[in-house]
Amino acid sequence: MAPLTIQQATKSFGGLQVLHGIDIDMNDGEFVVLVGPSGCGKSTLLRLIAGLEDITTGEIRIDGKGVSRLHPKDRDIAMVFQSYALYPHMTVAENMGFSLRMRGESAEVQRRKVEDAANILDLGPLLDRYPRQLSGGQRQRVAMGRAIVRDPKVFLFDEPLSNLDAKLRVQMRSEIRSLHKALKTTIVYVTHDQIEAMTMADKIVVMRGGHVEQIGSPMTLYDAPANVFVAGFIGSPAMNLLTGRIGADGRSFELAGGGTIRFDAPLGAAAGREVILGIRPEDVTLAEDGSPATIKLIEPTGADLHVNLDVSGTEVTAVFHERLSIEEGQAVALAVPAERVHLFDPETEARIAGD
Amino acid sequence: MVRWQRGLWLFFLPSFGLLALVLLWPLGYAIYLSFFDYYLGSGERTFVGLANYADLLTEARLWNSMWTTILIAFGSVGVEFVVGFALALALYRLNRSAKVFSVLLFLPHIVTPVVAALFLKWMLASNWGFVDATLLTFNIEPPDWLGSPVWAKVSVILADAWVFTPLIMMVLYAALQGLDTSLIEAAQIDGAGSWSTLRHVIVPALIPAIIFVISIRLMDVFRFFDLIYVLTGGGPGTATETITIYTYQLGFRMLEVGKASALGVITLIVVAALLLTINRGLNKAYRGGDQ
Repeated sequence: MAPLTIQQATKSFGGLQVLHGIDIDMNDGEFVVLVGPSGCGKSTLLRLIAGLEDITTGEIRIDGKGVSRLHPKDRDIAMVFQSYALYPHMTVAENMGFSLRMRGESAEVQRRKVEDAANILDLGPLLDRYPRQLSGGQRQRVAMGRAIVRDPKVFLFDEPLSNLDAKLRVQMRSEIRSLHKALKTTIVYVTHDQIEAMTMADKIVVMRGGHVEQIGSPMTLYDAPANVFVAGFIGSPAMNLLTGRIGADGRSFELAGGGTIRFDAPLGAAAGREVILGIRPEDVTLAEDGSPATIKLIEPTGADLHVNLDVSGTEVTAVFHERLSIEEGQAVALAVPAERVHLFDPETEARIAGD
Repeated sequence: MVRWQRGLWLFFLPSFGLLALVLLWPLGYAIYLSFFDYYLGSGERTFVGLANYADLLTEARLWNSMWTTILIAFGSVGVEFVVGFALALALYRLNRSAKVFSVLLFLPHIVTPVVAALFLKWMLASNWGFVDATLLTFNIEPPDWLGSPVWAKVSVILADAWVFTPLIMMVLYAALQGLDTSLIEAAQIDGAGSWSTLRHVIVPALIPAIIFVISIRLMDVFRFFDLIYVLTGGGPGTATETITIYTYQLGFRMLEVGKASALGVITLIVVAALLLTINRGLNKAYRGGDQ
């Protein structure tokens, strides 16, 4: 349990700089998720925290103590790897107790701590098995058990759920979440899956190209994405990002590809200004007095209805939670509440303030 | 329901035939001959039962060659394994440009053993050989590399190591490439130092490759012939006479084919027993007997 601070961290491999001045403050006991597309530097950042890669410049502090130059074992961290990295020739108990053994703890202490961790994770009956005799979910749990046994200041998770099937992934998501509630240890968790980030995090760090794009709570990122990238990355299906300009009345949006979407209130940007207009699919409704559109494609997921609408040649995705009697090719009218609209500057791609 | 499978044994025939011809028939024939008193060229075979075996097993020369073989086998495979593994680990840590050297290290293995042995023989020749000449310029009196019983054994062991260390290095290096690096990283985080990581993580992960390469080399070294034949011919005296050299002497110098066959069978049994033991031992040590 400790706060973790990253200050101006950079990392270069040879001449290639992969992290550009990362600043993140993580509070004591916080669940922080690093999320971004592959190659964004999130795993490298995690490896810097773990000490598996040397930081090029900058500083990492755990519990106020600079650890940038320390060996991984002296940083008081534990890590769960994507491949689980269980020692294949050791039993579950030996795997979990390995760090204690390396630390020179007595057999009695090893046994007690391993049993405690096994109880938390329901691993008791598996302690004498070898990793190859376990299912994916059980291996995942052993990897977490190995981390818990060490009672570290910070847990690091590197895409731990990506090797599991969809159902197990949902289950492990909530298990990790409740484990965090019970242990109250600071967690840094890397994933490329924005759903994982949204459901698990206290704080999400969105990264792209070695830069931090935005840091905030899941709902902050959802409600007020700082830029076009975050807007498109967080949320599923992705936000509709439409290019065009604000209409002369300030309450309509003229699409670059032709056609107009009208709103119920002023959009909060000067009339005639070029903008990127973001609309979350779930904010789209069908209304009799809305803007004209045609239904191109209907994808029922069971719970929801994903609908692709054609607005004068521009495609807009909508999600409806209710069952609608609509069919492909049908002419409809769409409406979006003006307060749910996101505006971005087309040059800087940054959010336009004041909306 | 699988009628077409009945004809499949026809496909099995050619390979089985070839195997029978080059492997099973000579083996069977050797076992058969080992029960006869048979001199090459005499045309007369007398069935003697297990007399050849009894003769051999009570003979000091057989036990001498057996111990020599075991000493040379374990000595050279030991040296090869330690040096080869160290080189493989070094190579694993090195960057790309340094890997060019691995090709250079492999050179002795590319050379035919007989050629390598001839080369070494010139290197080790008394007084004017490269090694002696070098030592003498530093006023160091060189030992008689191939003439003294002890140094002849050492020379043979080092010669074998020179030729076969690269093989072990490459096999273990290839195995290291297949190692999940996150295992090593997990061990680092768990607080294991370099030695503990090697002992508790790397070596156990490489056990299949280690068993393979040690078994192959031991099998090979028990058939060790060409290098010794060229370097020392089994001498001085019988100081470097291995079982294969002795078998050759029996069969082709003394023409006692029956007895030589019996020795071949004994060698086969010894090697098979040895390999089984090593395999079991290593498996047990690192997998808790769990196959």
